[in-house]
Amino acid sequence: MKRVSNININKVAFISAALLSATIVQADIAIDSQLDYEVTGYFADSAGQNQETQRVNNSLALEVEVFNSWNDGDESLTFKPFYRIDEMDDERSHGDVRELIWNKVADDYELKIGVGKVFWGVTESAHLVDVVNQTDGVESLDGEEKLGQPMVQVLLEREWGNLDLFVLPYFRERTFAGKDARLSAGLDYADAVYESSAEEKHVDVAARWSHYWEDLEYGVSLFHGTSRDPFQTGLLTADGPEMFTYYAQITQLGIELQYLNEGWAWKFEGIHRDGMPEGTVTILAADPSGSLNTDCLTCVASNPYPGLDHTGVGEGKSYFATAAGFEYTQVGIFESRMDLGWVAEHIYDSRQENASVGAFEHDVLLANRWVANDEADSELLVGVIYDYEYEDYSLSIEGNTRLFDGLSFEIEARVFSPSRDNVTQYSLRDEDLVKMTFSYYL
Amino acid sequence: MNKIITAALLIFLGSSAFALTPQEQGLAIAIEGDKRGEGYEDSKVNLKMVLIDKKGRESARDMRVKGLEGVGEEGDKSLMIFDTPRDQKGVAMLTFTHKAKSDDQWLFLPALKRVKKISSRNKSGPFVGSEFAFEDISSQEVEKYTYKYLRDETLDGMDCFVLERIPTDKYSGYTKQISWIDKAEYRALKVEYYDRKKTLLKTLLNKDFKQYLDKYWRPALSEMVNHQTGKSTRLIYEDYSFQVGLKGKEFTKNSLKRAK
Repeated sequence: MKRVSNININKVAFISAALLSATIVQADIAIDSQLDYEVTGYFADSAGQNQETQRVNNSLALEVEVFNSWNDGDESLTFKPFYRIDEMDDERSHGDVRELIWNKVADDYELKIGVGKVFWGVTESAHLVDVVNQTDGVESLDGEEKLGQPMVQVLLEREWGNLDLFVLPYFRERTFAGKDARLSAGLDYADAVYESSAEEKHVDVAARWSHYWEDLEYGVSLFHGTSRDPFQTGLLTADGPEMFTYYAQITQLGIELQYLNEGWAWKFEGIHRDGMPEGTVTILAADPSGSLNTDCLTCVASNPYPGLDHTGVGEGKSYFATAAGFEYTQVGIFESRMDLGWVAEHIYDSRQENASVGAFEHDVLLANRWVANDEADSELLVGVIYDYEYEDYSLSIEGNTRLFDGLSFEIEARVFSPSRDNVTQYSLRDEDLVKMTFSYYL
Repeated sequence: MNKIITAALLIFLGSSAFALTPQEQGLAIAIEGDKRGEGYEDSKVNLKMVLIDKKGRESARDMRVKGLEGVGEEGDKSLMIFDTPRDQKGVAMLTFTHKAKSDDQWLFLPALKRVKKISSRNKSGPFVGSEFAFEDISSQEVEKYTYKYLRDETLDGMDCFVLERIPTDKYSGYTKQISWIDKAEYRALKVEYYDRKKTLLKTLLNKDFKQYLDKYWRPALSEMVNHQTGKSTRLIYEDYSFQVGLKGKEFTKNSLKRAK
């Protein structure tokens, strides 16, 4: 089943662009564009479920930023549409309004209204506290690409720190790779089901207070509303297997800490989240008698917790998760101008094997960051995420450099070595990849 | 610094009859240089940075810098916004200079909307791939060094004090700096940087000084040559303006996120 949200967003983007060009006629408009060409090669370890699929994939993405400010810079409008065309995956060919936001700076407050993006957090391995924007899941494996989030944001900057208040009137579903695409679960997605009867129109609220003292930075955040992380499980319907995606109502308390001391950056992120249903992803684990059928999706929608317990959906529960570690930087190693960073982080989820898909239950990140400090701003990050319970790991190499002003090059390689016990990761075993991206700035 | 002592030192300085130690003389010169730069309130300048490698190949970066003068014991604040290279557009750096402790510095990465605090341990590292270190481009507060007057010397026809200064911060990449300061206007015309092995690493030449508001002297060109690598970096300052009415709210972590 196809989701229609992308089409709506394209319309929004188009109408917004038309409005913007019609209303702003000042000559002061700055337009910047970035065109990405991406080519990915996949390497199968053994004949797997995707053996028939393509080995090489091409993709093009365009992001434009239109910016205009007036009132001596105290008011501005930013419009940032995005569109990607993907050779292999129709779900990845998608558009989004990354930003369409009006920003007003007054003497004692700041106001932002529109579609925007914010980032919360300090750690590298997992972004636990970062809950405002939905992940644009088809864009990248690290989950760092985000969909634009409709918001009203009030920012206060005072002696006692920074307080950001949010009203989030509309929810965006996470994007997922299509059934036949690489890095997918190999399943079609059923329509998303919400705990709230208001569905995606549930009005979420959030607040974050952050401050610093000497070399200690700290933040506390609260979020109440639709979870950006879905609960997922396989479902056997009359049309065959489908992926069931459920968005619960949650309340989350987040804490961030970062302490810089000499060459060390100590980092901690922790969340306490209430309201997430627990359950393992048991693909096709629905009642073998076939008692679930397409009609049941409606009953799921009308009743948040129907007789789905046998697939693992249960009452919303509370849990906590943490990511903690350090980055130690050696400045100018080997008497060169290069810096070498040593990153170690531990990620923990109190739900353990009942954690949601994509969560790290008991994992360690070990990485080296090389910063060349050259004229091309070259960087290389080599890391391994190791799950010490399942004894599986994934290796990643990410590097970037500038070929000349206006053209940058990025390379990413991933090797997955999941254990058979880890159901959610096992499907990735034949998805080892090398991805090269050329970014052209117009 | 106690103002009475400062004044007394300055009086002594003008008269060779009194026996001042080279340290006292050096400090007095540094304080007078700092005093002549006071009262600018705020400033704006466009900066072009040209990196030149051993073979003479050039690459350029454009940035804009806003500065806010510190009041009382507060150090200066600065906001630097990158315009090119184009992939770096919108990257911004906020610095709170402190007199007695390490500076606070934050970097804004627009793609992720992430503000990252930069470790002060980093200060000896190259600034955006150039031959300038972070510590070379930060505000030169008097308290960050100890001083020693060495001798008088003529440089490009100008009478200069030659001053040795030693960074007080243990993370500095330098064991000492030798600077040539002209006696007429107290401008640093030339600075030599000695690395941790006490060998000459770099030479900075400040050229084409212009005076603004009939008081503040600024070079139009700063050239840093690295003697050990053969690389150099030129900083070209354009469109300096002072007392333009910048406000404190333009130098905050939130302002980093909207810096354009």
